[in-house]
Amino acid sequence: MFTRIYQQLAADWVNLAAALLAVVIVGGGLAYVLLQPRLFLLGLKNLRRNLLRTMLTAVAIGVLAVMITTIWTIIYFIDLIQTERSKDLKVIVTYKWSVPSQIPMNFKDYLDPTSPGLLLKLREPPTDQGKPLYGKDDFMIWSFFGGTTDPQKITPDTLIFFFVMHPDQIIPMMDDLGDLDPKLVQAMKEKPQACLLGKDKLKAINKQVGERFRLTSFNYKGLEDLDFEIVGVLPDGRYNASALMNMEYFNAAFDKYENKFKAPHPLAHKRLNLIWIRVKDRDMFDRIGGVIEDAPEFNQYPVKVETASSLIGSFLESYRVIFMAMKFLLVPGMLAVMALVMANAISITVRERRTEMAVLKVLGYSPNQVMLLILGEALFVGALAGMLAAGLTFAFFNGLWGGIPFRIGFFPVFRIPESAFLWGLGIGAVTTFLGSAIPAWTARSVKVSEVFSKVA
Amino acid sequence: MRFRNPLLNWIAERPGGAMFALVGILLLLAMLAPILFYLTPIRKVPLVYNLRNLQNRWMTTAVTALAFTLVTALLTGMLAFVRGMDRLIEASGNPGNVMVLSDGATDEAFSNLPPFVAQDLPSDVQKQIVSVPTDPRDPGKKTPLISQEVYVVVMYMIPNAPPGSRQRRFVQMRGMNDIAVAALVHEVKLARGDWPSPAGVKDLGNGETAIEIIVGAGLARTFAADLGKSELELGDTVTIRDRKWVIVGVMEEASNSFGSEIWTRDAQMQKYFGRENSYSSYVVRTENAQMANLAVKEIKSFKRDRTLQAYTEREYYAKMTDTSKQLSVAIYVVAFIMAIGGMLGVMNTMYAAISQRSKDIGVLRLMGYQRWQILLSFQFESLLIALMGGALGCLLAYLAVDGQTVTSLISGGGGGGGGKTVVLRITFDLTVLIVGVIFSILMGCLGGAFPSVSAMRVRPLESLK
Repeated sequence: MFTRIYQQLAADWVNLAAALLAVVIVGGGLAYVLLQPRLFLLGLKNLRRNLLRTMLTAVAIGVLAVMITTIWTIIYFIDLIQTERSKDLKVIVTYKWSVPSQIPMNFKDYLDPTSPGLLLKLREPPTDQGKPLYGKDDFMIWSFFGGTTDPQKITPDTLIFFFVMHPDQIIPMMDDLGDLDPKLVQAMKEKPQACLLGKDKLKAINKQVGERFRLTSFNYKGLEDLDFEIVGVLPDGRYNASALMNMEYFNAAFDKYENKFKAPHPLAHKRLNLIWIRVKDRDMFDRIGGVIEDAPEFNQYPVKVETASSLIGSFLESYRVIFMAMKFLLVPGMLAVMALVMANAISITVRERRTEMAVLKVLGYSPNQVMLLILGEALFVGALAGMLAAGLTFAFFNGLWGGIPFRIGFFPVFRIPESAFLWGLGIGAVTTFLGSAIPAWTARSVKVSEVFSKVA
Repeated sequence: MRFRNPLLNWIAERPGGAMFALVGILLLLAMLAPILFYLTPIRKVPLVYNLRNLQNRWMTTAVTALAFTLVTALLTGMLAFVRGMDRLIEASGNPGNVMVLSDGATDEAFSNLPPFVAQDLPSDVQKQIVSVPTDPRDPGKKTPLISQEVYVVVMYMIPNAPPGSRQRRFVQMRGMNDIAVAALVHEVKLARGDWPSPAGVKDLGNGETAIEIIVGAGLARTFAADLGKSELELGDTVTIRDRKWVIVGVMEEASNSFGSEIWTRDAQMQKYFGRENSYSSYVVRTENAQMANLAVKEIKSFKRDRTLQAYTEREYYAKMTDTSKQLSVAIYVVAFIMAIGGMLGVMNTMYAAISQRSKDIGVLRLMGYQRWQILLSFQFESLLIALMGGALGCLLAYLAVDGQTVTSLISGGGGGGGGKTVVLRITFDLTVLIVGVIFSILMGCLGGAFPSVSAMRVRPLESLK
């Protein structure tokens, strides 16, 4: 996904809005400090004067900001992976009519740019000699191999679900694995039984790198049990519960079956599950998609072509209500609670400090300066608490689990993006502003004569 | 949730009745309150003083209570969703039903079985299979309640989907050899229409034919929305796999996992979805749960040309609680953190109240009230704010979500895919209400604890200086 902060900002309007808001808040804050230094210092003294209540308010804002950052990370990630990109699209070729997609292994020959059988229309003209429309590093195939380490006790902990692929295709094609140590890929190429596991999976089967285990397949019944050697751990994050194995080893298991039983495995002819092709833009996607969907070679097992985001969107459709509730009920509800907490704290402060406001006015402070004093105090606490809370959330979840451990579909964790700092700042500042606007206005309207007549 | 006490079960199953019962109990308590109050030491606590203060500072009270309302409404609304999911899982599956899958399969979607007849099962199991008369013309003739089913998750192209929106959706289809018998096995009834004919194909009258299907009530609503209609009508057609499928029946609204499925004849499913001559599961009905458990054991140890995997249907669905468990944990974590926010809010309010009223506390102490009485009085004040907010939050959530139907997923985890899309009814029942009330009480008690202690420690003479 997007690792650079500017990529995160460009990819999502909330990020962009948070960044703009941050500029306004920081700019406004600096202007306030520079133009009204006495007010700023007075505000700080006021906050220190009742440190307990200032801390209570800050912590209340902070804990709610932690929760919103956590929830919004999940929403942000889910939205992002379902958003169609305009560049570097991934084309996914799957069986057209049902899931799980199962297609013949020889389909890869029609789409592999290094294969002599590549569909002619997938070459630049002149079509019989032109170079393929995409390179070898833009193509990969996937099969799924599921099995259990303990056939007598099939539990989620004993199950391993392998993504089967050619090791050379891992680094160029797999999302978030571009920085994988090439030595691990080399190890997979040298030892067919080598595999990479996510850290949660390793923990679940209670194994370490260098250890071996045997797997009895449940989706390809009848294949001999396969021995695996763990040669490395997948990077912390979305692959924590995943496992990768070598396509050669997978294919060899079917060959063994055929040699043993003198007949192919009943599912051997449809053991390929997905084909991935990376294309540079939407036009190329449409061009390649059209060629594949119209190719008579796929008539027997019709295939469909879609983007990764579209396929993921279909799988996540059943979670739609949960996401909608998170986005449109839970987050606004929490923001409202934050605003109410702040409104309460500030209105109590204003009520207690009516005499002080009146004195300030007598000393020559304008009503707007009194209002600014209250708003400044509130925004200082709210924005700072929000940003600190988001920062702590970022450090806690990303540091401890590589992200928020909330399994949805194929996503075991959700990494909190760097832009979360901006969300925290924005959440804290906006809710504080909403909560303190009316009390600050009340402070502005304090009438000196009324206050002193009561004092007298 | 099942209670041992039948009265509690009755209440849990009738949330509306339970609400009335609760209101009744509260009214009774309200009537008895003066007597109870007189008999307890709490009568010595200056509660009227606190009530008057809440009234005088009504704005602060209202804003604090409103925060509690929101927190409790969100918590109970989310819990009601999970309760709906749990209830659906509990209600899915007859206790006497036994599901047979291929060995190693943990989900119907990954199971592959050949066609079978009852004689293929262990003889002890055959004897346990329930038979019922299914032909009204021949009541003496009984049909064994066995269903062979082929279950496929298919790709449905959404008609008239606007560009840029989702173009396709997964739909769960189930083909049976005898749908009427399968409906008896699964206790599914039709709200409208009829079961598909033995041929399973209908002439549409314009030279076209369509495959007959019945659809679950939840899916019928989705299809109707796709077609731009308020309600799906019999005779409407949908296109799946470039073939027309005509709706001949709509299932009754029920709390089980079939509400989001399409049912049709097995032959059609096998033909169109590459499952030639194979099934996903066999479901057989035995007399009761005990018989079902025995049958499961028999089938698991039964050795023929292939090993079979068997579950009681209840057991199969009970394993699909991964999503609901995960959501429950997430909800409690969210609730806990929100509660901290709410508690700190009330703490702030109470600290402010105490600092404003230190002279009052001094006077109360000089009037003879003990420290513990001051402590209780302020604790009562925060508790009352929390309860008012919490009760309103529960009511709000009940009115907003109870009875709403939503689409969700139930799954058994393991990372191997699977799971079922279901249409569930959000259930705000007594359990949710109790959790909401307890949650409010805890927030009020904990939020008021420290300020109450500080109120208790106010020195009367110093406060009056």
